[in-house]
Amino acid sequence: MPLTTVRGLKSEIYVPITPPPVWTELTKPLNQCTVAFCTAGGVHLKSQERFNLSGDYSFRKIPSDTPSSELMVSHGGFDNSDVNKDINSMFPIDRLHELVKEGFIGKVAPTLIGFMGGGGNVQKFKEETGPEIARILKEEGVDIAVFTGGCGTCHRSATIVERAVEAAGISTIIIAALPPIAKQQGAPRITAPHVPIGSNAGEPNNIEMQTAILKDTLNQVEEMTTFGQMKTLPYEYRHNV
Amino acid sequence: MSITVETASQHYNDPAVLCCLRKKGTVISASDLEDPAIFPDLEESGLLTLSEDSLTIGQVLGSTLEQDADAMTPLTPELVSHYVEKKPEEKEKATTSEPAANPAGPKNSVIRFSINELKGQIEIPAGFDSAALPFTLPEAPKPEPEDRIIRTLTQREFNVQEVRVGAETSFQDKVLTIREGLCAESLMADPLVKDAQLDIIRPDERHVYSNTIMDVIPIATKVEGILGEGTTNVMHGVVVILTGVDEKGVQIHEFGSCEGYLDEKIRFGRPGSPDPDDIMIRINVTVQENTGMERRGPFAAHKACDYIIQEIREALKKAPAEACDKEDVYHDYKKTGKPRVVLVKEIMGQGAMHDNVLLPTEPAGVKGGQRNVDLGNVPVVLSPNEVRDGGIHALTCIGPATKEVTRHYFREPLVNLMAEDDEINLVGVVFIGSPQVNDEKAYVSARLGQLAEALDVEGAIVTTEGFGNNHIDFAENIEQIGRRGIKVVGASYCAYQGQLVVGNKYMDAMIELNKDKDGFENEILADSTLCPSDAKRALLMLKTKMAGVPIEPANRKWTQEVITANEQFIQ
Repeated sequence: MPLTTVRGLKSEIYVPITPPPVWTELTKPLNQCTVAFCTAGGVHLKSQERFNLSGDYSFRKIPSDTPSSELMVSHGGFDNSDVNKDINSMFPIDRLHELVKEGFIGKVAPTLIGFMGGGGNVQKFKEETGPEIARILKEEGVDIAVFTGGCGTCHRSATIVERAVEAAGISTIIIAALPPIAKQQGAPRITAPHVPIGSNAGEPNNIEMQTAILKDTLNQVEEMTTFGQMKTLPYEYRHNV
Repeated sequence: MSITVETASQHYNDPAVLCCLRKKGTVISASDLEDPAIFPDLEESGLLTLSEDSLTIGQVLGSTLEQDADAMTPLTPELVSHYVEKKPEEKEKATTSEPAANPAGPKNSVIRFSINELKGQIEIPAGFDSAALPFTLPEAPKPEPEDRIIRTLTQREFNVQEVRVGAETSFQDKVLTIREGLCAESLMADPLVKDAQLDIIRPDERHVYSNTIMDVIPIATKVEGILGEGTTNVMHGVVVILTGVDEKGVQIHEFGSCEGYLDEKIRFGRPGSPDPDDIMIRINVTVQENTGMERRGPFAAHKACDYIIQEIREALKKAPAEACDKEDVYHDYKKTGKPRVVLVKEIMGQGAMHDNVLLPTEPAGVKGGQRNVDLGNVPVVLSPNEVRDGGIHALTCIGPATKEVTRHYFREPLVNLMAEDDEINLVGVVFIGSPQVNDEKAYVSARLGQLAEALDVEGAIVTTEGFGNNHIDFAENIEQIGRRGIKVVGASYCAYQGQLVVGNKYMDAMIELNKDKDGFENEILADSTLCPSDAKRALLMLKTKMAGVPIEPANRKWTQEVITANEQFIQ
């Protein structure tokens, strides 16, 4: 018997195509955790080779005892003025050390990671860069890795690396300025402050905001229980370019 | 760099946008361009604005950039030189190319074989147009479609015109009397129940304040046989609503509240809600403080409510068959020669009060059933008749507008539609829980996939109540079925507030259940649940997909127009 069919029916619900869930549960309290920070926003030591701005899947190891004054950004995907004023607006290394002193987290991982995700080669990040960064963090006993993106494709590259790190058994979260991309690319956990790309971790030189964003983000690693959750954070900053 | 030459060729007609900062004089190649696959996200984030005069990737390859330009800049005629002009005739070609797909030539020409002696056999490849042959191919014998009845359920409806409180519980001459002391006695059902009150709300007296509505429960009872077969007596024109608070006055069992005036907080006439002319028996239960959002508190309220209903059921059992006002007969069939399909209903199973009772002894009851959380949320198969006979008692605490209450399952439009449809063979209704733990979500979904495979179905419809984390299961359930080559349609409330957070390529035929004009969970009981028109669209979409007729992809944003247009096909 033939089926009744019709031409011109349209699917009624938009479906973002996300990769399968990847999830590592946090099993310790924050004050016992080793925390790493990774950014796709092109951060590296002034003494290190600059990134190739037309796309680069290499990464730079940043020793966590590096003074923030020794860091810089090479990235063409966003306005660099905020990171040039204060690298913590993308890579809150000073805030991390303060959180250790305060007893909020256990310690900062010895090696932090910078890469330039703009226009990133998806396959290379998925098959090479991501697993390699995951291996380094895992070897150093990292419990939590916090990510920032940068531009649109940076969010994609950051999420690809984040997923590789989560798959290696480390709880991860991304502070996303462009949460729809992080979500669609399959970030395990997302916080979303109201910030422009380029100062994803908070307003430059606004220690209070940067600390609050980082703390709220770390708290969410404890609180989120399932893949793909997102929490909007109540901090707003607009930069005037 | 971002895209390869290969990607560029796939997106030849998509807009060209710089992936990175580029200097004046750059000769544009694929490596300078952004991947068009992420444009919608970039546009959504306000990072990219495409204009009418944006050039396509095909036009700009090999052109020269005339000024420095930032990442995310769409290339336009002002920015580049030596690009390829768009030829207007190309467009015309595209719109007229369709008829060319069916060239008339080969049909009219004849291939002649000269055969003197033929031994063995000639094999004709599948897909060969046999109508073109000068002789008729013998038809393979087809099994005669046959609908064999395997189970029959008779529901006798008894109209109720008045409900009173009195000395004895009785049902006579369309008047239901409920014993005065019954509520006080119902506290024995569970020590956590501290108080229970009952009142009767007539259709014209609905502007009454109410605590949040936990459930809407039909009054039905078995008089012969077990759930799903034999005879059930059902009261028509009356329905129980269960409401509750804790001792401190805190609303219980809610995620979003429909606390308020009943006439404003209920969408009357939905499959799960009271009908416009129904008398409501409101049972308001107070549970021990701080247990309202734990599994035990709301369940205690349901037990007390069921205790009260049970006494009414006992009276209903005695109603003489000849006094019934209507008799409905439902069959479970084994239909040979028709495509096998399954209906999957995802129910909440995240613990706490996100739970359901499966297969109670009495229709829509509590006693005798098993809760899906206790069963590990694994898929459980019910026959269509078991569902229609009150096989599910809903304990679910989710948004009022999207939650499927007990009455919803009792009158589930998709179950009825698919069970009665002549073109398909509904082999069963699968209930699968949405667990709390991510690993368990994957576990139960995988079992569902295996079950669908074992049932050897060609098609499936997957529905879910609620939205949010259960959409992870929803997506996974659809994928587990779809990847086995089974055609699948999904139905859920998503719209604006409930937009999907995850998805996969098998979710390409979807039915939106939203009824709110702004796409929100509007806290009106049962407003955005599955209605008969949704069921019809879902089944038509499934049949269309099973027949290989394409379903157009969804728009990126929810709009009512798409649903309205699809509705035209079912009218």
